[in-house]
Amino acid sequence: MEPLNLFPLFLSLKVAVAATGLAAVIGIPLAYYLSRSRGKIADFVDALTTLPVILPPTVLGYYLLVLLGRQSPIGKFVEETFGTTLVFTPLGAVIAAFVVAVPFLIKSARAAFASIDPNLIRAAKVLGRSDWNIFLVIILPLSWRGVASGLMLVFARALGDFGATLMVAGNIPNETLTMPVAIYDALLAGNHRLANALVMIMTAVSVSLLYMMKRVEKRMIRGDGSHVARKH
Amino acid sequence: MLHVNIKKAFPHFMLDVAFTAEKGITGILGPSGCGKSLTLQCLAGLETPDEGSIVLNGRPFFDAAQRVNVKSKERKIGYMFQNYALFPHLTVKQNIAFGLKGKPKAEIEEKVAEMLEKVEMQQYGSRYPAELSGGQQQRVALARALITEPDVLLLDEPLSAVDPYMKQALEQQLISFIKEHFTGIALLVTHNIEEADRLCDHLIMYHEGEVIQSGAKEEVLARPVNVTAARMIGYENFLPVTKIERRGNEVVAFVHGAELFIKGAKIPFSPRFVSIHAEDVSFIEEGSLNTFDYEIVQTRARMNHVDVTIKTKYFQLQATVVKKDWDSLLARKKKLYLPPEYLFFLQG
Repeated sequence: MEPLNLFPLFLSLKVAVAATGLAAVIGIPLAYYLSRSRGKIADFVDALTTLPVILPPTVLGYYLLVLLGRQSPIGKFVEETFGTTLVFTPLGAVIAAFVVAVPFLIKSARAAFASIDPNLIRAAKVLGRSDWNIFLVIILPLSWRGVASGLMLVFARALGDFGATLMVAGNIPNETLTMPVAIYDALLAGNHRLANALVMIMTAVSVSLLYMMKRVEKRMIRGDGSHVARKH
Repeated sequence: MLHVNIKKAFPHFMLDVAFTAEKGITGILGPSGCGKSLTLQCLAGLETPDEGSIVLNGRPFFDAAQRVNVKSKERKIGYMFQNYALFPHLTVKQNIAFGLKGKPKAEIEEKVAEMLEKVEMQQYGSRYPAELSGGQQQRVALARALITEPDVLLLDEPLSAVDPYMKQALEQQLISFIKEHFTGIALLVTHNIEEADRLCDHLIMYHEGEVIQSGAKEEVLARPVNVTAARMIGYENFLPVTKIERRGNEVVAFVHGAELFIKGAKIPFSPRFVSIHAEDVSFIEEGSLNTFDYEIVQTRARMNHVDVTIKTKYFQLQATVVKKDWDSLLARKKKLYLPPEYLFFLQG
């Protein structure tokens, strides 16, 4: 009995962490922009950021291949500057997971930002604060619950991505083989023992993640409500 | 002295106002959606007008022609928002100190402590806004707006969030605090005429994005210039004028054949209506001038008075009769009397 190769599990976790980080850096400002704008451009950006939820993963993967492939301007630029390709690398898996998962963050963060009383922002402005300071001191603290649950959804969704990841990053063992793809490969190869083991691990990880999320969420609500609920 | 002359266009709304405000409290009165709050936001630099200028004591905040647009934080404006807009996640102290960022710590501590004392909130410094009563929230909002020592104080519907039974006390608290601790120009937005009457020295009346009348409060309330302004401050009687004649010092207006003498009336415009406040409609035993036989069409009893609709041969009117006068009015057949000094002309 050969030992179980846990590379796919660790790769999946790493990819999910990186995709979540990328989503935070790009998704939160984008969500903020969308929450404050009502123009046609904003509507277009909104539609564009929702698209990954609706499109089949294969279509999404195909677009990413065309956009990031070695023949594309972006792919060429990255290859010439950093000496690495984007597709069929772990980086490709991160980008695929990011694109698939970031809409969840944008939706939930945007709703949280939009629910802030605009007079609070106006008050902060009149009292001399810069837009950036207002974002850090007023907006984020008042909407962090929505942002945090968005980030958790991104992590969960990124961890489980299959279609787009397979198309963009491939299934190179010990290099780009993530957990969901490894399960598929094991099944195709007729290795039911491996498939079973990986499925069990994946399920256990997902369930404990969900449980942790619930715990954190509960603590957030309690922590947040403690000073508001108490009336003298 | 604050000079405002601004225009701002929206797809279905146009703000086009000009007014000046002096020291003391100037009320901006008008129904919701008439551009009152938008005006305050333009003054504070939160919205940019399309055209015009805003000048405070000779210093332009905004001038479209000269491309001047001073930043919000450099305008020295205190702004008390509707519902106060206290930061819910910050303590009373942190809220009050919010506008002092960048000052030395010791100075902030000192100023905040001083301000907490002024608003009698010393023991509440570390509470959160949700733990305060409406009155306390109002005091914190005032403290936060005044700690930066602004030249102009903007108050947007300061009493709209208050329970009716608390209103009188909070109104008193607000006005006495402002009179005591603020010497600049205060602009107070409200849709409530009685509130404006009690709180303000000057009034600016808004209607659909335009100023329809402005001036000293007493003047505006006693002599609205047109029907819109008159309706807004509670006038109900608009008698259409068919002809006007000057007889000596008095002016006679013809209303469907009735002759109404009006004392001291100037005729700067071609008047369409003659008006009198329901409370100024009187009843006398005998007389000739402006005196009419009448019938009562409808009565509605209120707490301390009776609202009554009255019909004469020529016109119909609303009158308000104090409860204790009501019985004697019914008992003795008095006549309707419109005192010449209370009648005045209105534009359409």
